[in-house]
Amino acid sequence: MAENKLFGFSASPHVKGKRTTKWIMANVCIALLPTTVMGIIYFGLYALLIVGLSVVSAVCAEVIYKLITKKTLSCIVKEFDFTSVVTGLLVGLSIGVNYPWYAPILGSIFAIIVVKMLFGGTGKNLVNPAIAGRIFIFISFQTVVGGWVLPMSGDVITGATTLGGLYSGSDVSTINLLNLLLGNNLAGCIGETCKIALLCGAIYLAILKIIDIRLPLIYVAVTGLTTVCLYGFNFAYFLPSILSGGLILGAFFMATDYVTTPNTFIGNLIYFTALGIVTAVLRFATHMETVSFAILLLNLFVPLIDKHVINRPFGYKKPIKGDK
Amino acid sequence: MSIRKGLNYRYGIHVPDMKALTSDLNIEVMPAPEKVFISLSQHIGAPASPVVGIGDKVKKGQLIGESVGAISANVYSSVSGEVVDVIDIVNALGQKQKHVVIKNDNLNDEFLFDDLKDFSAKSLVERIALAGIVGLGGAGFPTAVKLSPKSQLDTLVINGAECEPYLNCDNRLMIERTEDVYKGIIYVKRALGLEKVVVGIEANKPEAIKAFEAYPDLDVVVLKKQYPMGSEKHLIYCTTGRKVPLGKMPFDVGCCVQNVKTMIACFEAIEKNKPLTEIVMTVSGNGINSPKNLKVAIGTPFKYIVDYCGGFKDDVVKLVAGGPMMGKALSGLNHFARKTDSGLLVLSKGEAVLEEPTPCINCGRCAKNCPMRLMPMYIENFALCGKYEEAEKYGAMNCIECGSCAFNCPARRSLVQSISMAKGKIKEMRTNGRK
Repeated sequence: MAENKLFGFSASPHVKGKRTTKWIMANVCIALLPTTVMGIIYFGLYALLIVGLSVVSAVCAEVIYKLITKKTLSCIVKEFDFTSVVTGLLVGLSIGVNYPWYAPILGSIFAIIVVKMLFGGTGKNLVNPAIAGRIFIFISFQTVVGGWVLPMSGDVITGATTLGGLYSGSDVSTINLLNLLLGNNLAGCIGETCKIALLCGAIYLAILKIIDIRLPLIYVAVTGLTTVCLYGFNFAYFLPSILSGGLILGAFFMATDYVTTPNTFIGNLIYFTALGIVTAVLRFATHMETVSFAILLLNLFVPLIDKHVINRPFGYKKPIKGDK
Repeated sequence: MSIRKGLNYRYGIHVPDMKALTSDLNIEVMPAPEKVFISLSQHIGAPASPVVGIGDKVKKGQLIGESVGAISANVYSSVSGEVVDVIDIVNALGQKQKHVVIKNDNLNDEFLFDDLKDFSAKSLVERIALAGIVGLGGAGFPTAVKLSPKSQLDTLVINGAECEPYLNCDNRLMIERTEDVYKGIIYVKRALGLEKVVVGIEANKPEAIKAFEAYPDLDVVVLKKQYPMGSEKHLIYCTTGRKVPLGKMPFDVGCCVQNVKTMIACFEAIEKNKPLTEIVMTVSGNGINSPKNLKVAIGTPFKYIVDYCGGFKDDVVKLVAGGPMMGKALSGLNHFARKTDSGLLVLSKGEAVLEEPTPCINCGRCAKNCPMRLMPMYIENFALCGKYEEAEKYGAMNCIECGSCAFNCPARRSLVQSISMAKGKIKEMRTNGRK
């Protein structure tokens, strides 16, 4: 062996954990697969087209942006970390099949270019790109397409959805919980109807310790409890309010996005509790699905939470007043 | 007292310990090499000044570097032979240090101290100072200074945690030389004038724990296998329940922490009249042909050690002096065994991570795992943009550089490197401010 051989040189530690950003993001994609598949089963091949277009355009948008900013192709390949795939997937899953085919493309491009890349790329975005993309599409197209699509049949419900009905005061007892859980007769977006599939993905992420399962559970619980309080402590509202709308998708896959959540556990507790309250109150006030708006709003408070909630170092003692 | 379980500490990480490579291998005595290169600065504090010149004949165990100032340590020759050179060599940290080069004549003439006349605290500390003993766990703080505290202490904590992956030297010493460790503890206890001794051993060393069962006057604490259990502050917390306040030292809570290897060195200096000339180190990693636990002469070239262990395998990517979490990477083999070395790791492609850092994704894993409960990502951020005052506000100076943050960072950020840089700059600012 050559004794003049130079070895790899770096600061400690010299061994590292196996998980990388790429690994985490790839696993989030895997966790989203069950609900994607259920969405395609429920809504047909057009759903596949929407999700596919949205993923492809998200990845393309990122690559093109990086080419414009003069990065070499090999560098782009090396930097590719699946974050844009996750964003594209979430954008596609959070719109309905009654949207035109170019809607997800516009949404993904908006999410990647405006919300993510212009702020500095992975890890630097202020708000969740997928949420912003979803809201972009929602505001631009919702009045045009009107209403949500029922699975299997393709009928568009222009009136109140289950969620809308729930919040505008229709009889709670008529809501079929199993239907909410399976989502086979529930109008909504591609990825939010089958709660079982979503929960499977969430459990997968929790087992891999990618997300702290306690936090989204706090979110949904607080939403449910706040709804119960708003309707005069009627506990019949608890489960329907959790299982209807996009709460499960939002809580387990969108709100838990690393970049736009606080860095400490206490900070996260504040963030997810506030999310729950804001979601329920906004739903109560507007009779609409407000999960994405709540997340967008609370995302903006994250830097504030992070500034004020920090860990207390080991061995920290409260300074005694008057003691210099 | 008996064996009991230590307190739980929630924050820290679980590192694959890789100790099985060498955990059952007895410590081998490696023959001394033809030439040794003994550094005169193997400890924290002022470098020793050379007391031999080129051409001098020295015996094994003869003083070659004398301690200067309050915090310093003597350096002894580890072979008998002739001094052929006193040269500057760049060490693993990139600092130039004086090394005394001694050619081995293989006569093995040994120089020993006289027997101690009395075993009073004062003469014990004097002997430990004379023997050039420093904290062998890695820090290299002169032990005699640690044994002369300003305030009265009440507990001696023996660090047998050895939480660094791969390393087994403490473990093997505790198994093979339990009696010597015990005697060392008794002497150090007497030197400090205290009664209570706790020995902290991580749960993954059942043999070592068993070996200490024979000494009922020691309070053996079985610690949870978790990194960094061997950090002074966490060891004290888990064994005694005391929290060392921020910016304070173990003696502020009445504790003195000593490593197992230091105990052996103290025993040898006091009972066998030997100065510190040999160390025990683990040579391990998947990149070396036959991993071993070795007793080597101080100043042995690493190349000689590697050859003794069967040489490299083909896919070696990294050479590390010390443990994989806190050790120093070596760029080549041109380095020499020092008092504080406890391991030489040859890491293969699958083990060592050489990846470029990617952008921080704010996952908060570093803060979640930090055993000091700091916010590494903010400190790194401020350090990288030069705002060292801000970094200090976030507690940069409390970092123990254990590497837990960087181990778990999915973005592969060099957190320890940045924080350590910030610490250096803050220290610089403090000294400049004082002037």
